[in-house]
Amino acid sequence: MNTPYILEMRQVSKTYGSGHTAVKAVDGVDLLIKPEEIVLVMGPSGSGKTTLLSMAGLLLRPTEGKIWLNGQETTPLTERQLPALRLRSVGFVFQAYNLLGALTARENVGLVMHMAGRNGRSARTRAAELLTMLGLEHRLNHLPADLSGGEKQRVALARALANDPPLILADEPTGNLDSKIGREVMELLCCGLGRDQGRAIVIVTHDHRLRDIADRVLWLEDGRLSDDHRGNLESMASHQIGETTR
Amino acid sequence: MLKLAWRNLIHERTRLIISVGGVALAVLLIVVMNGIFAGGEKQATTYIKNQPAPLWVMQAGVENIHMASSILPADAVERVRSVPGVETAVGILYTGGGVEVGDTLVPSYLFGVDPDASFGGPWSLTKGTAAPAANEIVVDQAFAQRYRLALGDTVSVMGHDLVIAGLSKGTFGIAVNLTFVNKEALAQTLGVPSQSASYILVKPVSGTNLQNLADELRTALPQANVMTQTDFIASERDLIRQTGVDVIRAMSTVAYVIGLLVIGLTIYTATLERSREYGVLKAIGAKNPQLVRVVFTQAFAAAGLGYLLGVGLAYGTSVVVSRLFPDILILINPPQLLREVPALAFITALAALLPVGRVARLDPLVAFRA
Ligand SMILES: Nc1ncnc2c1ncn2[C@@H]1O[C@H](COP(=O)(O)OP(=O)(O)OP(=O)(O)O)[C@@H](O)[C@H]1O
Ligand SMILES: [Mg+2]
Repeated sequence: MNTPYILEMRQVSKTYGSGHTAVKAVDGVDLLIKPEEIVLVMGPSGSGKTTLLSMAGLLLRPTEGKIWLNGQETTPLTERQLPALRLRSVGFVFQAYNLLGALTARENVGLVMHMAGRNGRSARTRAAELLTMLGLEHRLNHLPADLSGGEKQRVALARALANDPPLILADEPTGNLDSKIGREVMELLCCGLGRDQGRAIVIVTHDHRLRDIADRVLWLEDGRLSDDHRGNLESMASHQIGETTR
Repeated sequence: MLKLAWRNLIHERTRLIISVGGVALAVLLIVVMNGIFAGGEKQATTYIKNQPAPLWVMQAGVENIHMASSILPADAVERVRSVPGVETAVGILYTGGGVEVGDTLVPSYLFGVDPDASFGGPWSLTKGTAAPAANEIVVDQAFAQRYRLALGDTVSVMGHDLVIAGLSKGTFGIAVNLTFVNKEALAQTLGVPSQSASYILVKPVSGTNLQNLADELRTALPQANVMTQTDFIASERDLIRQTGVDVIRAMSTVAYVIGLLVIGLTIYTATLERSREYGVLKAIGAKNPQLVRVVFTQAFAAAGLGYLLGVGLAYGTSVVVSRLFPDILILINPPQLLREVPALAFITALAALLPVGRVARLDPLVAFRA
């Protein structure tokens, strides 16, 4: 436990399939995340970002390499042990929000606390608190279908934070939001609530405008991770602008 | 998690109605079928039950009234009377047949009763006499009502016109229509001596040991079968039950297969539709058994609601039917209702297996797909 890192990935690779059809989605990546760090992972489509994040979140086992979460080596853990570790140690934010359609905003947040063993009443109270801090006090009892995209993503943020995990993993969290709303949601996560208690945040995104929120920006290409080379990002930005103006 | 199951269930109204309704119909069908047969059993044994005769004597080999034909020797009644311990012995003639009302032949039990006997005839009367003379007949009041007959009207039995002289009660049902005619007249029609009896109803002197008396009757009439009232009722009930069992079993099977398909399909489609959500829950940290429980809970909640609704509808049906068709008796008894529970639970678990398998195999990585 006497490690300075919340997440430690050493020489991690992931190969999908085998033989002729094998795809090496992640190739010998070292990724070290310290408490309180906000790290952005950028890269072109298909470069392995989601694959990397899935392994960091213990949803996918690497083909090679080792992963430590909070100082605990995760490779020897069984499939039965992983869910409980994810539940308490990792908060996920997805591009598609992924709220449960039959539950209200408050119940969506309360459910994950309930799963972690918190009793119903205190889960309800805490869920309302979190949602209120995220500016959703008027939306507590709304179903996801009745919320805007930005509101849904804020509910998802509250859910990710509900069990106070030391690590938040977000895959394209602003992908379905317009840039202003996306920015607001990211600021709530990275400057507000999300920063409690040394929590670290890893965000995978195409959105170069989020760069200034991050402490570090990493570049993933062909499954290989490198430090932020300004050139990469610049060319990506101009590529995107070129695409949108075309 | 149980809340999630419940919310998922009621979130889709239409599907909930279909699954609950499907189960309810299956349960309704089963309960009403059973109820009709239970009612039939009760109606079929009502004559034996309502005679104050603890012992019954009949032709050897005969154990029933329904579907049976019994005739005892002409001196049998006298021989029974001479056995010590017998207080009263009443001989009755019985034949299955029909009562003609205009052009309609109504299948009926015809009891030839002695007008001077203290029992053997109708035990409950609403009008007229319980002791028909040679050209008279006693029919049930519900039967009379159904065919618009009144006291003094004429019906025909085996070619003889008979005047309705009495209206009885509790003697009409789908399985049975009991009518009472004069014994001597019936004997003449059947061409048997007037002292002949099909069954002899025996009332012992009080304090007599029934089994001993039955044995003595067997010795006195070696050619006859002697049964206690209780055994006779059971034997009659078993006969009706046997004819009903196959029908009930077939109908129950069909009903349960319908229930299985309805629950299976609705829960399966519900689970498919929500499979992304279940995948998300797995990603977040739900364990497989928790999700499996959610699916099972949905299936069992739907089945439970369907069961309650079905039982409610069955009781409603029995009331409505008894108003509209007084001859149909639907007897719903709670132990039988409980007996359906394990079968329904089994069906529900079976129906949930497929969706449960889907959920267990779900890949949590679906959460990352946009
Ligand atoms: N389950 C899978 N089976 C086979 N190949 C896969 C699988 N998942 C991803 N890949 C491949 O691995 C590579 C990396 O995919 P990944 O989804 O991690 O990229 P990404 O950087 O997240 O892309 P995007 O920006 O489009 O989301 C791609 O070539 C992809 O086709
Ligand atoms: Mg991706």
